[in-house]
Amino acid sequence: MYPFNYHRPQSADDALALFKAAEDGIYLAGGQTLLPTMKQRLAAPTDLIDLCNVPDLRGIELETQAVSVGALTLHSEVAGHEGIRSALPVLSSLAGEIGDSQVRNRGTLGGSVANSDPAADYPAAIVGLGATIHTMDRSIEGDDFFKDLFETALNPGELITRICFPVPERAAYQKFPNPASRYAIVGVLVADFSGEIRVGVTGAGPCAFRASGIEQVLNADLSPESIDAVEVPESGFNNDLHASAIYRAHLVKVMAKRAVADLLN
Amino acid sequence: MVALPQKVNRANLLRSRWGSEVEQTGEYSVAADRSAVWTGLNDPEVLARCIEGCQSVSKVSDDVFEASVKAKVGPVRATFSAAIALTDIDPPSSYLINVAVKGGPAGFAKGSAEVILEEADGYTVLRYRVAANVGGKLAQIGSRLVDSAARKMADSFFAAFEREFEGQDRRADGASGNSR
Repeated sequence: MYPFNYHRPQSADDALALFKAAEDGIYLAGGQTLLPTMKQRLAAPTDLIDLCNVPDLRGIELETQAVSVGALTLHSEVAGHEGIRSALPVLSSLAGEIGDSQVRNRGTLGGSVANSDPAADYPAAIVGLGATIHTMDRSIEGDDFFKDLFETALNPGELITRICFPVPERAAYQKFPNPASRYAIVGVLVADFSGEIRVGVTGAGPCAFRASGIEQVLNADLSPESIDAVEVPESGFNNDLHASAIYRAHLVKVMAKRAVADLLN
Repeated sequence: MVALPQKVNRANLLRSRWGSEVEQTGEYSVAADRSAVWTGLNDPEVLARCIEGCQSVSKVSDDVFEASVKAKVGPVRATFSAAIALTDIDPPSSYLINVAVKGGPAGFAKGSAEVILEEADGYTVLRYRVAANVGGKLAQIGSRLVDSAARKMADSFFAAFEREFEGQDRRADGASGNSR
């Protein structure tokens, strides 16, 4: 690891000011991607701005028809929160399947979403549930948030404060995890908003996306079998030593079918 | 010391698997005639403008270039120096770009891209096929991301290259208006 300046601001405004003043600053949320990268000397920020003491970024609020989660909420907090488990069980089970217990006890919702790792789990919930990402000065719709591999609609220095998840009638998430990292090789979240189906896919492409073809057939007939008729083209899908693009395209259908079966139970 | 040969062997094994796996193709249409596109592809200044994060490109000889690129892929931000050699040159229709990237502590990448230019009606079709090898820490950390990252970089390069010629059209129009 290269030397860097460490800051621990007490407010979001202070964090932003530090970011702007730094030559090459970066926010530290949970550090589950950033710190290994820095240790390997693949990143050398001049200033590390630790957000752990910023109170505005914490807290879970249950609203009517929505769950609002602070950006610095740990995966383990989402997984174990009684309120989320009864209002939006799909989110707590998704959070409970991220990485291992070490990752879940350090990693944060906002950190995962802002990083836009192609294989992260939360992005499937952002697009699949149509969440709204709140930053310090605006709100971004989940459908417009993920742009590309590690690229989001966030501007440099823009901090996610909260993420608001609408509560569907029912929903299910199924993933095919890498056995070592538990990253989603492919993960599919299917949500039923009173007859309107949303399908969010992670792991398959450069960033999370909605599978409109699958949504279409499920809107006509909400059954695992109806997904058989959908063509999922592998073009543009990720291809690495874990899975080829064609295999990922196949997994999208398999995971979607499992999620629908799960949701109907 | 005992573990070292094992590590090396494992790395070699993985590298040989990626060698065949990291391969991609693309096609772009560039609004210029073939000889202009060919000239652009051989011009260090044009290349420097089109490579994202490029800090410098210098011509060592007619078919050897050196480039310094600050790459940013997610959390990874590292400066790479690349030696670029052009072989199998058949102007103005095709060449092979061979790139050897040294990322310092970050590892290395080697790749070659076959570029083919075809004349069409008022524009040029550019096709490329890239095969790449990655090793060192870059491969350890980024094995699952190398392909996506390489594709993104290639897309961004050729998209910028395309814009380069649109820009020239606009500059030419503007120039006549300003009588410069």
